[in-house]
Amino acid sequence: MHTLWRLLLHLLPPAFRERFGEEMLAHADAELQAAAGVGGWSGVRTAMRTTGELVVTAVQERWDPTWIDGAGTRPRGMGGRTMMGIWMRDLAQAARSLKRSPGFALAAIGTLAIALGSNAGIFAALDRVLLDPLPYPDTDRVVRILASAPGTDLPQSFGVSREFLIEYEENATHLEDVAAYNSFTATVRVGDRVERASLSAPTDRFFQVLRVEPVLGRLPGPGDRDQVAVISHSFWTTWFGQDPSVIGQSHFMMDGFKTIIGVMPPEFAFPNDRVNAWLPQPPLAEDAVIEPGRFGMSLVGRVAPDVTDDALSEQLTTIVRRLPEEYGGSARYAELIEQHVPVITPIQQVLLGDIRGAFLVLFGAVVVVLLIACANVANLFAVRAESRGRDLAIRRAIGAGRRRLIEAQMAEALVIAAVASLLALPLAIAVLRGFIAVAPGYVPRLAEAQLGLGTSLYLVAVGLASAVLCGLVPALRASRPAFARLRDGGRGTTGRAHWARGGLVVGQTALALVLLVGSGLLLRSFQALRAVDPGFDAEDVVTFQFAPEQAHLTDGEAWAGFHLAFMDRLRALPGVESVGIIENVPLDEGVQTGPVYERDEDAEVGPRAGLTFAGGDYFQTLGIDVLEGRPFNDDDGRIPGAVVISRSVAEAVWPGESPIGRPIRTSMVPEVHTVVGVVEDVLQYDLRDEADGHVYYPLVGPTPEAWRLSSPGYAVKTARAESIVPEIRALVREVAPEAPMYRTYTLEELVDRTMTSLAFTMRTLAIAAGLALLLGAIGLYGVLSYVVAERRQEIGVRMALGARAAQVRGMVVRQGGRVVGLGVVIGLVVAFAGTRFLGSLLFGVAAFDLPTFGAMAAAMVLVGLLASYLPARRASLVDPMESMREG
Amino acid sequence: MSPHTDDGSLSPIEYHLLLAVAGEPMHGYAIGRAIGEESEGSLTPSAGSLYRVIARMMARGWMAETKPPADAAPHPGRERRYYELTPAGRQTLTEETDRRVRVADMARQRLRTS
Repeated sequence: MHTLWRLLLHLLPPAFRERFGEEMLAHADAELQAAAGVGGWSGVRTAMRTTGELVVTAVQERWDPTWIDGAGTRPRGMGGRTMMGIWMRDLAQAARSLKRSPGFALAAIGTLAIALGSNAGIFAALDRVLLDPLPYPDTDRVVRILASAPGTDLPQSFGVSREFLIEYEENATHLEDVAAYNSFTATVRVGDRVERASLSAPTDRFFQVLRVEPVLGRLPGPGDRDQVAVISHSFWTTWFGQDPSVIGQSHFMMDGFKTIIGVMPPEFAFPNDRVNAWLPQPPLAEDAVIEPGRFGMSLVGRVAPDVTDDALSEQLTTIVRRLPEEYGGSARYAELIEQHVPVITPIQQVLLGDIRGAFLVLFGAVVVVLLIACANVANLFAVRAESRGRDLAIRRAIGAGRRRLIEAQMAEALVIAAVASLLALPLAIAVLRGFIAVAPGYVPRLAEAQLGLGTSLYLVAVGLASAVLCGLVPALRASRPAFARLRDGGRGTTGRAHWARGGLVVGQTALALVLLVGSGLLLRSFQALRAVDPGFDAEDVVTFQFAPEQAHLTDGEAWAGFHLAFMDRLRALPGVESVGIIENVPLDEGVQTGPVYERDEDAEVGPRAGLTFAGGDYFQTLGIDVLEGRPFNDDDGRIPGAVVISRSVAEAVWPGESPIGRPIRTSMVPEVHTVVGVVEDVLQYDLRDEADGHVYYPLVGPTPEAWRLSSPGYAVKTARAESIVPEIRALVREVAPEAPMYRTYTLEELVDRTMTSLAFTMRTLAIAAGLALLLGAIGLYGVLSYVVAERRQEIGVRMALGARAAQVRGMVVRQGGRVVGLGVVIGLVVAFAGTRFLGSLLFGVAAFDLPTFGAMAAAMVLVGLLASYLPARRASLVDPMESMREG
Repeated sequence: MSPHTDDGSLSPIEYHLLLAVAGEPMHGYAIGRAIGEESEGSLTPSAGSLYRVIARMMARGWMAETKPPADAAPHPGRERRYYELTPAGRQTLTEETDRRVRVADMARQRLRTS
């Protein structure tokens, strides 16, 4: 501690330090001793406090000196200017000195500028997305509320049902406001333009929860019923050209004409930035009948000030426990309510999801790159100080104070960092643009990120910090008296100097290896995810949706007939191999789930499965294996009665038996159907999930109304997946001019989309790791080159005495190898401790994956040896005669 | 940051600092402890922050360095520096104390009547 404090005293202005320095030190030591006597953490606390206050005092005293050369009086304000004056002189001198060695200056500035630029660029993105993601007041009090029922077979969390919302609104005093929200696609028609657009139909308190005012018009009020719409800024821009007269216009949205009453500000994007309009639902009528247990509503609430999550959770739990008394419901409902625990998530976390982790990992990576760059520049400074050792020693000998030498060196570092920071600005803009371009599209508010005040301040702070990092160590060392230099003619370096620089390279190697291991693990995860069998074959499949709204499509039969006929038209397109229809395209949309059972008494205890419908050659088109029985044929599509189930449903309902020909019922379709086939499970939501079991109903619904509101997805298998879409679009226009075609993807795009976050992190981390590796290699190369240059004479003597070139090369490479080896060992330890921060990004690979660690360590050693070999080769080419003559 | 104003009034730490040396001359470490005790623990200046306040008080001419008292225990190692209150400092401290007493009287009276 004593040594650190003695060092820190140098931060104080000289006059103050000379008068009070020793006294402060003695005082601090006594304090620490007394505190250590107390025991516990008291010593540590005192040490930290004294250190902190010492730094603060130094800054205050430099800013506003109280003590100038022992003079009792203090000319106010003058002191600051005097200090500034000295600093300015130092800086000017430093600039001149750097101009004399442009090679050094360029290398140092370039290295720092690249690292600072990427830091600032990533920081700008981070600043917008993580630190300031939402434009709502008191964002930290806005939460999403879902339900969970641990110990039941329900999903980990799920939407609540209407009675929850009603009771929360009335009785949850810990919530200032609460509302339900959703988002879905529905038809929007403005004049001739018809599209399926993303909409949201929140409940009436929605805008009060988020507390955002419209930029135009007004928010819905009690008298509005369900005939108004508030539109998004981007919808206003793209559909109406920001025409203010849009207020009061009526257009068809979802289920009828809505009057536009307000336009929200551009940054308002909830629940996501695709929503074009909010169609507020009026409050329920007083006498409305509530059917309990219809789960699926997401709630957003504003928590009252100073209420903890636990307190809120407790209150909501109490409220929910009373629901069965109030609303009735089945035995299963009562059982579920008994297990219910509310799931409260800060809204920031909901909106950012796993991108938060990815961003933090990435930011960590660029900080590491900056550290490596600083080590490189510090090395350059050290080398420069060595080569100017004689000059410095002379200055010291003729009386230059140590402080002056340190300050002169620090001034150079400061000039380098300042110029690098300036150059880093345009670079940061480029990095940010590139980052936005490659980032997954759904990151909220990323597109708005720009280089603002926050980023500039960050750049200044990091620039200053790197100046200190780069300059301080060599500056302190260079200022040490080295009168020996005057004797030996300025050649030769002490062992200590080598150690300091070797230490920097060890650190660089370790840091670069940590990044390499991290990106290696992500690469393995990516491969593992790619290798997941989703239960279907994504190759050459186009999917799309359209929802015809035609007068004659009044019942299931007409509806099925329409789609079967349309599938025939699709099959007739050139290059189409097969066509199928499915209610919810895997990896694109969710599926309603419910219990599956054979006998009525099992109605509530049956295993849950996805309940959906399929038709045409769906299973063949997606390459879903038929394990038993047969897939649907077109007759099944027209006449209700047959179902196809997937493997895990068969195993759960009829373990060890064949389900073919057995009767089956589900919560959605209580009418008995007969199992005709068993197919393989598919992954509906995410490649990381377990496979989901499904019950596929035929295209014709069990009742005439069953699928009326559903918009099915088509799947077309064709080698022309990339080019066939316009032809399909023309066909759709022909059979249903009123229905836009939407959600058009290739199945491969959908698979890629589930991996965007991982792919993005993997690629950007790989770039950072590559940069780190390169900088690390340059650092090693630089140090060894310098060592070789310095030892030319010695090498010349050795060779004159008969050392072979190979021996000389081996000597240099061994020296490099020792440094790299130590760095690799340290790096492995740090990586071992650090990779668990990759957490949820990893898939199918352990955070400590031996092959990855081994391979990356080997790669690091290889690069290290390569970086050593070049200087080693140069050493072995030394001409003994020449090198000795130089002496 | 220790708030202080140039209108002559004293911040709490400045007040207690002058108070500490109003009796007999003291060295820095003893001053720190005295401030801690006399402020009933509300002020605990450490080695890192105390000396800037001392410097300020000296610059204003309210405190000065003085010879160690004859009966000071010999200190191993470096000799300790001692500080005392100057006449100007005594004046300031007296004025500030009077002001504080007036405020305290007023407060006590108001609390009694309300």
